[in-house]
Amino acid sequence: MSESILIMDGVTKAYVPTAPILKDVSFRQEPGEFLAVVGPSGCGKTTMLRCIASLMQPDQGAVLHHGQHFDNPPPWLSIVFQDYNRSLFPWLSVRRNVAFGLRHVGKEERDARVQGALKAVNLEHAADLYPWQLSGGMQQRCALARSIVVQPKLLLLDEPFASVDAQTRIDLQDMVMDICRKMSLSTLLVTHDIDEAVFMADKVVVLSTRPARVVEEIGVDLPRPRDQLTTKETPDFLHLRHRVYTLVRQQAQKGTSA
Amino acid sequence: MTARRNRIAPLAWQIGMTGALLAIWQWAALTHPAPYLPVLQNIVAGYLRLWHGDLLQSAIVPSMVRLAIGFLIAVAAGCVAGLVLGYLRALDPWVRPVLEYLRFIPAVAILPAALLLFGPTDTMRIFVIAFGSVFPVLLAAIDGARRVDAVLLDVARVNGLSLMERLFRVVLPAALPLIFAGVRIALSIALVMMVISELIAADDGLGFYILRNQRLFQTANVYAGVLTIGTIGLALTLALLAIERSVLSWHRGWRGLSGTGSVI
Amino acid sequence: MKMTPLPGAVLKGIAGIALSVALWELIRAFRIVDPRDLPSFVAIVRSAAAGLWGGDLAAALVATIGSWVPGLLIATIGGVAIGIALALVPTLEIATRPLLEFLRPIPSVALIPVALLVLGIGLQMQLSMIAFASIWPVLFSTKAGVESVDPRYLETGRVMGLGQTAQLLRIVLPSTLPSVATGMRTASAIALVLAITVEMLTGRPGIGFYIETIRLNGLTTEMWAAIFVTGLFGYLVNAAFMAAERFALPWSPENRDR
Repeated sequence: MSESILIMDGVTKAYVPTAPILKDVSFRQEPGEFLAVVGPSGCGKTTMLRCIASLMQPDQGAVLHHGQHFDNPPPWLSIVFQDYNRSLFPWLSVRRNVAFGLRHVGKEERDARVQGALKAVNLEHAADLYPWQLSGGMQQRCALARSIVVQPKLLLLDEPFASVDAQTRIDLQDMVMDICRKMSLSTLLVTHDIDEAVFMADKVVVLSTRPARVVEEIGVDLPRPRDQLTTKETPDFLHLRHRVYTLVRQQAQKGTSA
Repeated sequence: MTARRNRIAPLAWQIGMTGALLAIWQWAALTHPAPYLPVLQNIVAGYLRLWHGDLLQSAIVPSMVRLAIGFLIAVAAGCVAGLVLGYLRALDPWVRPVLEYLRFIPAVAILPAALLLFGPTDTMRIFVIAFGSVFPVLLAAIDGARRVDAVLLDVARVNGLSLMERLFRVVLPAALPLIFAGVRIALSIALVMMVISELIAADDGLGFYILRNQRLFQTANVYAGVLTIGTIGLALTLALLAIERSVLSWHRGWRGLSGTGSVI
Repeated sequence: MKMTPLPGAVLKGIAGIALSVALWELIRAFRIVDPRDLPSFVAIVRSAAAGLWGGDLAAALVATIGSWVPGLLIATIGGVAIGIALALVPTLEIATRPLLEFLRPIPSVALIPVALLVLGIGLQMQLSMIAFASIWPVLFSTKAGVESVDPRYLETGRVMGLGQTAQLLRIVLPSTLPSVATGMRTASAIALVLAITVEMLTGRPGIGFYIETIRLNGLTTEMWAAIFVTGLFGYLVNAAFMAAERFALPWSPENRDR
């Protein structure tokens, strides 16, 4: 039970009592698993993510990390937010942004780890630039470096590639998968991009329209490492993609006809 | 467009006007001598005298010391209190009415109370300076703290920062642009309060200097003193702007990009 | 954005005031300040009421208003006129710039001794000082306001065949009014400070002279009452200006979002 890195158990959340955002969301994530959460637009994915991160407490139900409840984000949890231009500290350079979570670590170790993280995201050359001097993709990579430098066990990603162009998105996807594999991270990716979800994940959780609950969990056992070209042409990929897409579209139509 | 000619013409006008005004003054002082119209060279002499020797000690230094202490107290107190009040949003309805009342008290009205409580001491003058100049900083800090982007605070929380750490490592830098705007206003108010406190209740300092020279009809010294106060004010303002420019260099770049361009 | 329903906020505000009064009384009770120097809040309010109800305090207040209003009026008329002139006549602006930039850093109160030299003691000197000090915010606000009139308004006027004067009166002036209003509000506070300062220094009748006199006579309660009432007056002046702005200029950007 407490081996699961994350347990969502009947999580319910409402800002306004008559209009719950999440209703009875339940699923589990095992250590090392790459989980993708998809659903129709506006179904409450970000709210769910904030509950998972313990930035917010559910009204009902429980969010358990390794079987434990947390009032505040657990120390081994990292999160990459969607709006990278709002999540990087504008008064800090890239290097200092990345080092932000390492203030209790000794200088030498901190410098080494920061350097390693910058290398993993290919930002060594930009270490002394400021966020406003970076492109969108670079800013998101900086946010990613900041999240992994603290050596998390669980990495949350909130639609991290939504605001970058398609080419950058592909590069970032590969980069994230590579990092997660090398660091043996458990990863939870919230996305509206179904291709991305199936391509990157071991399991796809499909949410219903608001109030969100889990419609289905679909295992993705495509072989790793996955390739942007070849994997996406395999019949298995297309089949899974079709399944997820159909489910999400059904939910979206339910939402509009409701 | 003859850019160079367009730069020279206004400059010429300005130099011309300045020269003309000075010439008129000098002419008037020489042909129609009056107690309030000293010749320019006397004013210049008085000005130079102020910056040397024991006048420097008895007039300029005491003023600047009071100004510095009062102003810095106001900035520090205003920042700390403002950041806390702005961040802890729940406190706002409690303190709002009291703050709104205090900030509109004409600061000079506090002077007699300060005299009563502290006597004609430097503590009194520093108190008056601080009281007058704290509010722009306080209000700016409250506003700045309130507007910190929630995402930045989330990042701080996920990284396990305590409340104190969040206030000083995230809220303070994020609010700094607004705080500096308040500090600029506070500086000019501090200068005014310094002069007022020295006009009404002091026995040294620049305000006292100009008042005493007025009573002795040493008018050139009065003008010299006024010019000195202006010089100090200008120098401090420029220094503050330079500090702001260097501390907030990230903000100018930031503002150039995103629409409203604020971290707040 | 409503954060608390109005009654809740009002109650908390009143509670905040009550707590401040309690703090005042505590400082007295614990003799942090000599209680003779810090009369009880009740005594202050009672003295204020007595002073205002046909007492000396009311007379002093009226005297101050008697110089504050005319001085402010002169400053407003002069500031608006000069501000408009400087904005519309570039040569004038350039020619006077050195003089204005020279006078700007000098705190107006520092010129009180100069005014004493030139005009002696009297109403003329007081009015001159009030007007001189308060003209600056009006002048610069007006100038900035005229300079930032949306050029499309002017083009519309030209297309409709409006001449220069008509454009000035019917387009420039109205759109500058919000800036002028803000400048006036700032000027009103400055004018009050100057009026009181001159009274304290030269014995001109008014609140400043009143407070100083009763302090010297040891009437501590009356002194605090006068300060308290002066603060109220300052607050009411500002509130009155804001209300007038909202009433007369509901279309201006600051008032639009209410």
